[in-house]
Amino acid sequence: MTKIVVVTSGKGGVGKTTTAASFATGLAARGHKTAVVDFDVGLRNLDLIMGVERRVVFDFVNVIHGEATLKQALIKDKQFENLSILAASQTRDKDALTAAGVERVLDELVAEFEYVVCDSPAGIERGAHLAMYFADEALVVTNPEVSSVRDSDRVLGLLASKTRRAERGDGKVREHLVLTRYNPARVAKGEMLSVDDVKEILAIPLLGVIPESQAVLTCSNAGVPVIREENADAGLAYQDLVARFLGEERPHRFLDQKKGLFSKLFGG
Amino acid sequence: MTRSRNALEFKGRWLSITRVRVLDADLDAIRAQLAAFSRQMPAAVKGMATVIDSEVDCELAALLGELRAVGMQPLGVSEGPLAERARALGLAVLSREAGKATAPSADTAVPADPRPARAAAQPSPVAAARIVETPVRSGQQIYAQAGDLIVLNTVSPGAEVIADGCIHVYGKLAGRAIAGARGDERARIFCRKLEAELIAIAGIYAVAEQIKDGPRGAPAQAYLEHGRLKIEPHKV
Repeated sequence: MTKIVVVTSGKGGVGKTTTAASFATGLAARGHKTAVVDFDVGLRNLDLIMGVERRVVFDFVNVIHGEATLKQALIKDKQFENLSILAASQTRDKDALTAAGVERVLDELVAEFEYVVCDSPAGIERGAHLAMYFADEALVVTNPEVSSVRDSDRVLGLLASKTRRAERGDGKVREHLVLTRYNPARVAKGEMLSVDDVKEILAIPLLGVIPESQAVLTCSNAGVPVIREENADAGLAYQDLVARFLGEERPHRFLDQKKGLFSKLFGG
Repeated sequence: MTRSRNALEFKGRWLSITRVRVLDADLDAIRAQLAAFSRQMPAAVKGMATVIDSEVDCELAALLGELRAVGMQPLGVSEGPLAERARALGLAVLSREAGKATAPSADTAVPADPRPARAAAQPSPVAAARIVETPVRSGQQIYAQAGDLIVLNTVSPGAEVIADGCIHVYGKLAGRAIAGARGDERARIFCRKLEAELIAIAGIYAVAEQIKDGPRGAPAQAYLEHGRLKIEPHKV
């Protein structure tokens, strides 16, 4: 059974697109045929992070309006041939998305792929609503700070009430917490919420904690999903996250402060 | 030709109906009391669905007029001395057992005394408590009409829980809680961990700023005492 997974958060700039790109890449790397769809019509970013921005001919809105077929619009990833990207339109706004159109495109994707990852725009308006509406599972991306946690809480409320599953009453959307930009040193100083604080407020299962990392920015700029960066904590954390999503048990790494040279030497 | 769609659909529905017991058939006394009651709780009285329950015979048509004048919507009468008149007026006649656990028998009926009549005319919270098992998230609003609200989970910041009766929160209460929403001053709020943004009972409220010296982060209850809102740690 194909699963539609929405990557959502409410708040902007928390790492939704980074997470969607790495998550989709990770699923493909583990042999699952995956499509990742950018719902952020008007502000497309996913194609940049996936490094395919120079190969976009047709986009999501073209397919919805029947100006191109899905086959024409899907861009195949160069590294993983079982990974496809459907870019958002830069020249349209979110009103170009219609519920019927989105449903038709998702139905077509579901027929062909094992996983369809929907990269939601920020906010709770039309684009975000349509991105989550058809989802079976949701990755709720949250930064360890109060306003992000509150927006995620709001989104969780919408997932429980304003989705197709909720409206039809066929089980709830399965929720996963993804905590990004986690900085154990700042948590220790009390400048950031801890994993436990966030888990207590949101009360959903934790799928992964992605440490704050310079590699995320470097990779974004280079157009490489950070999960492919094996030398970076963030890349390894995304690999763990994908493994856990697929049912593997893996301990959470990167929750503690890295030991400095001094504490290593003196066993502090 | 066969019709593919039904003309009617039948569905069960629970309604909150207020029982109006007539203790004294004197229309002037009834009028005066209704006026006082609707001044006290204008929002509750407007549109209030009522069933008239009387052990004494009275001018039903005139009584209906008085109830409607303050905005109530009489739906019918309970079986009794008024049944005959009600049928003549096309009003529903309900058996005493319908929707009620114990019907008052004639010998326990209170004699005409205007004081207890006031209490009888108040909307009584008879509906079963509304029970919510999932977290109440930011932006969500849950209202338990005519009864208690029981939340077995957390109420997040930015969420709102409202009840005409009491509110019980078995998780953390971090949002807004409004009990006695239709003016019941006996309503209380209980929670296992108080982090509320706002607590209100029968319109008397306190915001987080005012609660900060109270039992924050601890089990607590809130209630009204002589019209003042008390928020205290709850110990047993």
